[in-house]
Amino acid sequence: MTTSETHASFSSSAARPGPIALLRQAVDDIRSRRQLIGYLVRADAKKKGTDTLLGNIWWVLDPLLQMLVYVILVSVILQNSQPDYPLFIFAAILPWKWFMSSVSDAIGSITTQDRLIKQLKFPKIVLPTATTVAAILHFVFGLIPLGCLLLLLYHDRISGNLVFLPAIAAVQFLFTLAFAYVVAAVNVFYRDVENVSRHALRMWFYLSPALYGASAIDRIASSHPTLIELFKLNPFYVLFTSYRNVIYGSTTGAPTGPDWIGLLVLSGVSVVFLALATILFKRVEPAFAKVL
Amino acid sequence: MANVLRGRAAYAIDVRGVGVKYDLRLTRKNTLRTSFTRLAHRRRGVDRTFWALRDVSFRLVHGESLGVIGPNGAGKSTLLQVLAGIITPSEGAIDVVGNVSSLLTLGAGFDQELTGRDNIFLAGAFLGIQGDEMARRSASIVEFADIGQFIDAPIKTYSSGMRARLGFAIATSVDPDVLLLDEVLSTGDQVFRAKSKARVLEIAAAAKAVVLVTHDMNWVTEFCNRAILIEQGHVVAEGDPAEVVAIHQERSERSRAEKAAEVARILAGASA
Repeated sequence: MTTSETHASFSSSAARPGPIALLRQAVDDIRSRRQLIGYLVRADAKKKGTDTLLGNIWWVLDPLLQMLVYVILVSVILQNSQPDYPLFIFAAILPWKWFMSSVSDAIGSITTQDRLIKQLKFPKIVLPTATTVAAILHFVFGLIPLGCLLLLLYHDRISGNLVFLPAIAAVQFLFTLAFAYVVAAVNVFYRDVENVSRHALRMWFYLSPALYGASAIDRIASSHPTLIELFKLNPFYVLFTSYRNVIYGSTTGAPTGPDWIGLLVLSGVSVVFLALATILFKRVEPAFAKVL
Repeated sequence: MANVLRGRAAYAIDVRGVGVKYDLRLTRKNTLRTSFTRLAHRRRGVDRTFWALRDVSFRLVHGESLGVIGPNGAGKSTLLQVLAGIITPSEGAIDVVGNVSSLLTLGAGFDQELTGRDNIFLAGAFLGIQGDEMARRSASIVEFADIGQFIDAPIKTYSSGMRARLGFAIATSVDPDVLLLDEVLSTGDQVFRAKSKARVLEIAAAAKAVVLVTHDMNWVTEFCNRAILIEQGHVVAEGDPAEVVAIHQERSERSRAEKAAEVARILAGASA
């Protein structure tokens, strides 16, 4: 608890700290203000649960309804014969909904608090951190319909590999947090981020193996060898494949584990990305009060 | 900070050659399009920076209260934001010893959906006050704000007066070493205004140093033992409040006369 009131003396000058010092500051900021992050997360959850008629039920219904749309589109209209397609697509919708809500909440996390930022000194990094942590609830609530689907319709696909879900989610969280810091900071200076993100996210989803499996990408590998490498650089290639392996298994129904090597590489990349994103955020943070 | 503590511990605020630069390229509501346009026009070499403050230096020892006066847009509020740590200086440095409170925070951080009580804790957390400490203070905050049963209702159901009262009660629940004031006391009914003025004076008396930004010259002469006059980001006068106020009034009188003359000239030109 470094932020007790009695030690609130401070110095500020034109000297800007180096990257390592910025990183250390950010860790300090988050540790000393974890109570504030907790309040913000709780406020966020309370708000989202109470301002609609059905409250948190929407968080359960939302991925199910989206699943229904894709099932109608792909299984009925396009006549794709992927077995147990609802579960197949749900394994991708669940993490994607989480990522999308994390990003869209993070984008406005700084700009909507402009009054506060111009009137009070506090570490701004708590704002995107809080929205990103709060968005985990989307994932948690999404597990309810997933459980229902597995138990009621696809119980023969339930496998012990489901215990790896938290590990995959943890890697996704690291990547998402880094992404959140970047969009939150950049949106202060360029308000286009919100517009750009809407389209970029949609394109990202369709270019990731969500509606189709990784095997569909492998099929075009022979005709477009360089394209396939690009596809595999996508973090959601690894994430969707891993989620689908543990939730859905293989097409034949045999259980498969997550893409461990891919996850390991992705978590390493995400840690570096997170460090860079944090440095970027802390570097531009002093300008927030002036620009907002 | 170490050198302040070493031998000059009596200073509450030490401001050394502070300047605050605004980059006009980065002001509000930028879009990529405008950035590209600017990039294209960059070669014209127009300086797009603006110094809101320049070469500001002063020290405040314990027990002093400083009045900051000057015309609108002179940089007074920017100075207060620097002292509060909200804006970091573009040049120079400041040291502030002890905890700072600016009563600028009247309800700025309120979350409309949360109850008044939840907001007390949220605001406390933003101010860096731990929950258990805030729990101790909440009773007196609720009492001072005088909003009765509404404390457990969402803020969105509050009247603007109630909101302001709660904000004020939270902001003044601290007892700061350094108090920064930027004429905040125009909200609420008469009774609350009197009550809040009394509370501010009480905190100011207990604080080790006070910086007051105001347009009310009576406050400065009555309440401050020093004053600085800021014009266009520069300190143009410093010293005894009565003298500085006199200089300010004379200068603003002169600029008003100049403006009147210019208006007359323009009108004469228009009619000619």
